[in-house]
Amino acid sequence: MEEKLQKKRQISTTWILFIVLLAMVAAFSALSKDFYSFLNLSTMLTNISFSGIVAGTLTLIMITGGLDISIGGNIALTTCLLAYLFNIQPPVPAWSLIPIALALGAAIGAFNGLFITQLDLNPIITTLGTMAVTRGLGYVLTKSRSILIMEDVTGFIGRTLIPGLQIPMPLAFMVVVYAFLYFLLGRSKFGRKVYCIGANQAAARASGIRVNRVKFLLYLLSGIAASFSGLILTGQTAVGMPQHANGVELDVITAVLLGGTALSGGKGDILGTLAGVLILGVLYNGFTMIGFRFVHIRVFQGIILILIVALYEMREKKRY
Amino acid sequence: MSNASAASKNNLMRRRGIGELLFYGKSMIPALGLLLLILVLFFGFSTKNFFALGTFKAIISNIPVIAIMSVGMTFVLLIGGLDISVGSILGFTAVNVVLFHDLFEKAGVPPVWIPWLVVLFSLVIGVLLGTINGLIITRVGINPVITTLGMMAFARGLASWFALGFEILKTGKITDQVFLNIARIYLPSSKLAIIPITLIYLFILYAATIIVLRYTRFGRNVYAVGSNEYAARLAGIDVRKTKFSAYVISGAMASLAGVILVAQLSLGRDDAGLGTELEVITAVVLGGVSMAGGKGNLFGVVIAVLILGVIRNGMVQFQEATGLSYYWREVVKGLILILAISIDAARIMATKRRQRVRQ
Repeated sequence: MEEKLQKKRQISTTWILFIVLLAMVAAFSALSKDFYSFLNLSTMLTNISFSGIVAGTLTLIMITGGLDISIGGNIALTTCLLAYLFNIQPPVPAWSLIPIALALGAAIGAFNGLFITQLDLNPIITTLGTMAVTRGLGYVLTKSRSILIMEDVTGFIGRTLIPGLQIPMPLAFMVVVYAFLYFLLGRSKFGRKVYCIGANQAAARASGIRVNRVKFLLYLLSGIAASFSGLILTGQTAVGMPQHANGVELDVITAVLLGGTALSGGKGDILGTLAGVLILGVLYNGFTMIGFRFVHIRVFQGIILILIVALYEMREKKRY
Repeated sequence: MSNASAASKNNLMRRRGIGELLFYGKSMIPALGLLLLILVLFFGFSTKNFFALGTFKAIISNIPVIAIMSVGMTFVLLIGGLDISVGSILGFTAVNVVLFHDLFEKAGVPPVWIPWLVVLFSLVIGVLLGTINGLIITRVGINPVITTLGMMAFARGLASWFALGFEILKTGKITDQVFLNIARIYLPSSKLAIIPITLIYLFILYAATIIVLRYTRFGRNVYAVGSNEYAARLAGIDVRKTKFSAYVISGAMASLAGVILVAQLSLGRDDAGLGTELEVITAVVLGGVSMAGGKGNLFGVVIAVLILGVIRNGMVQFQEATGLSYYWREVVKGLILILAISIDAARIMATKRRQRVRQ
């Protein structure tokens, strides 16, 4: 009985988020006549998908009680490496660029995972270090310049529409990633393990779950997702530069927390994160459309982050 | 039975070799001193001009900003928290220093008074932002990482907002010599200019902090809260107040560092101190202050700050000598941070192992 009640509450949180999302779309459509146009909505969704993908994998990590803030650096380094490999003589064959990028992400993720699981390091500080390392390597590779990719190699990932459907390619990738993560987290044994570790790590270990292996796989997944986002970003901009995705970790963490995942772990789901990503995307796009500038939005972002967590905290206290 | 335990104890004693002294001993200072020595020798022999007075002065004048913020971060880590908003608080202060200075000049305040008023008002800014951090963390009960991440975006965003809004911040220049002298006087005399005044500030600040941490009730409370919050509460310590004070101190130190930075550069911009939180956390953790709270002191932090300063300057000279890109510095910084927390984790594991042996 108790369990059923709690489950009902969980579902309602996600519903509330989607209702808020609809209300915001309605409000911005009323405030700005350009907001509800095909061009703007399609641009907005394309922009969302690049941070949305990493938000999906970060959700899993945060459910286990971890955190990965190296994603921004990872994305930046991927764009730099792609542009660098494209411009060296003799050039690297175009087909190998995508596997190289994904391998880079996997290597960074494995590095994080190894240090965090084997030495039991604080994930925040570890990934803060990785962030510096990856962004630094980006600066080293590009000598702090932006490197253009003149030929269209990765463009089909970032810029094209799916023929006949008018859906931007990145959005399609994001939908696929979210569908995969939804089944992984909600419908598979692995997902159960993730929740179990977040709820009580010692109990999870005692009941035979290989905690370190699950955590390692999650950081690996996060690394691969970040480099995939890097591929999309390279496709969209055709530029590799170390300043890419600066501060994206803040957007992503805010989106995940907004979706109802707790930083202490054990709680949260993919649909909530999807709602969080969409709400933040609509919020930034809408505010830009009605005339706010980036710096104003940045200030509110900090306030929003703290407000969201405070609201969830209060909800939690009411329940008990 | 007692014989066997004595033998195992004896065995343990014998195994305490160099490694034990360097990494698992009570103090990090021998290991850090060795690392500093190795670095100095490495840069000394791989570059041309490392052993020169100019290098020494450059390193010394680069240190204060990180060193001052490290004091605040030490308090925060000791109570078992984390503050990643310090870089942004520094940036927001830097912008405000220029604004306050302009304001007081236009208001006709006598020039002699302006610098002191600017310092005072800037410190108020830091205390205010630190207070907000502390209140949200201790009263609302939100995780310190999230709170200070929010403050990081908020303070930096506000700084950029000001920078767009005020004409004087287009350049952000300060030319008032009286104000600049806060960080630009060298001792002992104008001819024999070796020791910057900022080093004197640092000496006073560190001495005061060491005394506070070691000999006052507040200092002992800080350690008690960090090592076992529950026990501290049972012992009648005001845990909330202690934690709150640590965040306020951290904010104040960040803004003090901001004032020093503006005086050194004669420039206050909204991107000042971008990413310094990384360097400050590295310095403090490398200095032996445990991420788990309750353990460490400022002696190790001093050497850690010196190590970072030597690396920063050494990499520049290393680039001149070998052509290696200057940007490797960022990579090295990140690796040192991970190395520092790895050592911290290894020390914690070793302590646990030893306790198990004793039991």
